[in-house]
Amino acid sequence: MEKINFRGFLTLVEREYYRFFRLAVQTIFPPIITTLLFILIFGYSLGEKIQTINNLPYILYILPGLAAMGVISNSFSNSSTSLFMARMDRSIENILAAPLSHLQIVGSFVIGGVTRGLVVGLTTLIVAKVMTPLTFSSLLGTLLSLVLISVTFSSLGIIAALWSEDWDHLATFTNFVITPFLYLGGVFYSITMLPPFWQKVSYFNPIWYLVDDFRRQVLGIGDLPAWQSQLVLWALALSTFLMAVRLFQKGWKLIH
Amino acid sequence: MPDTSRTAISIQALKKKYKQVEALRGVDLQIPTGEFFGLLGPNGAGKTTLIKSIVGLVRATSGTLRVFDYDVQRDYLKAKAMIGLSPQEPNIDRYFTVRRTLEFQGGYYGLSRKERRRRATELMEQFGIADKENDEYWKLSGGLQKRVLIARALLTSPKILILDEPTAGVDVEQRHELWHHLKNLNKDGTTILLTTHYIDEAEELCNRVAIMNRGQIVEMGEPKTLIRKYCQEQTKVYPGSLEEVFLKVTGKSIHEDQSLKNGKD
Repeated sequence: MEKINFRGFLTLVEREYYRFFRLAVQTIFPPIITTLLFILIFGYSLGEKIQTINNLPYILYILPGLAAMGVISNSFSNSSTSLFMARMDRSIENILAAPLSHLQIVGSFVIGGVTRGLVVGLTTLIVAKVMTPLTFSSLLGTLLSLVLISVTFSSLGIIAALWSEDWDHLATFTNFVITPFLYLGGVFYSITMLPPFWQKVSYFNPIWYLVDDFRRQVLGIGDLPAWQSQLVLWALALSTFLMAVRLFQKGWKLIH
Repeated sequence: MPDTSRTAISIQALKKKYKQVEALRGVDLQIPTGEFFGLLGPNGAGKTTLIKSIVGLVRATSGTLRVFDYDVQRDYLKAKAMIGLSPQEPNIDRYFTVRRTLEFQGGYYGLSRKERRRRATELMEQFGIADKENDEYWKLSGGLQKRVLIARALLTSPKILILDEPTAGVDVEQRHELWHHLKNLNKDGTTILLTTHYIDEAEELCNRVAIMNRGQIVEMGEPKTLIRKYCQEQTKVYPGSLEEVFLKVTGKSIHEDQSLKNGKD
């Protein structure tokens, strides 16, 4: 049986960690500060003017969504920036010329994104626990949901970084795909608060399913049946990851 | 001396087409183990495409390419493990320090942490960059950056070393130092494939050279044999040099080729 270059894979992961922990001031702290500001604004200012949702204070209702938002944007931004930079400075060519499989290369970018997503998501939840009366419905479920959301958006980040030809392309993907879907994905509201037409439209927004599942794991409530959001979460995580691996295997925009 | 009984790089009928451009038009090449082989050719001849095909950064349209009997497409992990590449253009994370760049390279090839640290230290000393170990790559001068690229290629003690214009932009003293290193490596059994625009470099170092033009190998042999074959008359370069062979084979005039001396492929 062929020997697996496990050290090579760990080095790739170490490279990812080194990249974003070295820039922790830019990569880790800003999203945590942003979430804290959201808690302050929606929890202690605007939140008091908004009715309770599912018998929960507004701030508690939106907390899982805020954490999921941090996880989504950070895992996406980590893998997309890392791979896009590597394409620009051609360091990806050095990695592609090394005895590393496509699965290992994609896996390392995803692990980098998942770690950054988890650091941001868990820190947000810990801070929220200190500042609000938050209790967890399922700790294991919360963790699993965080990991699957991070896998999905890290993989999507890889796909976006391969598709992009310049930084503007990458920004377009973030601004016109990720951000609108995220803000319309039930982070700040329950779907039951929307008019019927927009409730139907929400079914086409994949982020809504992810946020709903995460909210169910944290608070024990959700708009959708648990199996539906779980199914979409697993399907998205697997399909985006496999697609990223396939694109690497094909050498899309990497090998000429 | 090359071991002709074992082939390090075997290329047969290799073709590569980029949309309308035929970059490689049926290249056949056998490089035995331990040979110091030079690849010469004007800009756009296909040298870099050929090298990138060997390391898997370019997918050939047709033909076969094997590295120590491993097909570079099918057995790509085994083939790549044999090769160290110093590319023409830097392909390095510019914000990593010199030491980290080298140690990561060792890691990618499966070296233990201790081993990669030892090799990085050894090579930094050998290439005179030990005092720059904590400097980020982008802060180094062009000559030092070249040294880092070559040290990185050597970090895993590869069986095949591929150098794509390693001395372009390097001063004369550093060039001669590098020649010295390369001769020693080759003496110790490393197969070396070198592309260069400096014809004297190929003449000085290589057992054999191939001259490429428009995606094909148009001439191949030992430098002395080629010089005997092509240089019977007085020319403007100097009588009996590999440079003269190059100019005749590629159909370039001496004036036209002046730009090659500092140019890129």
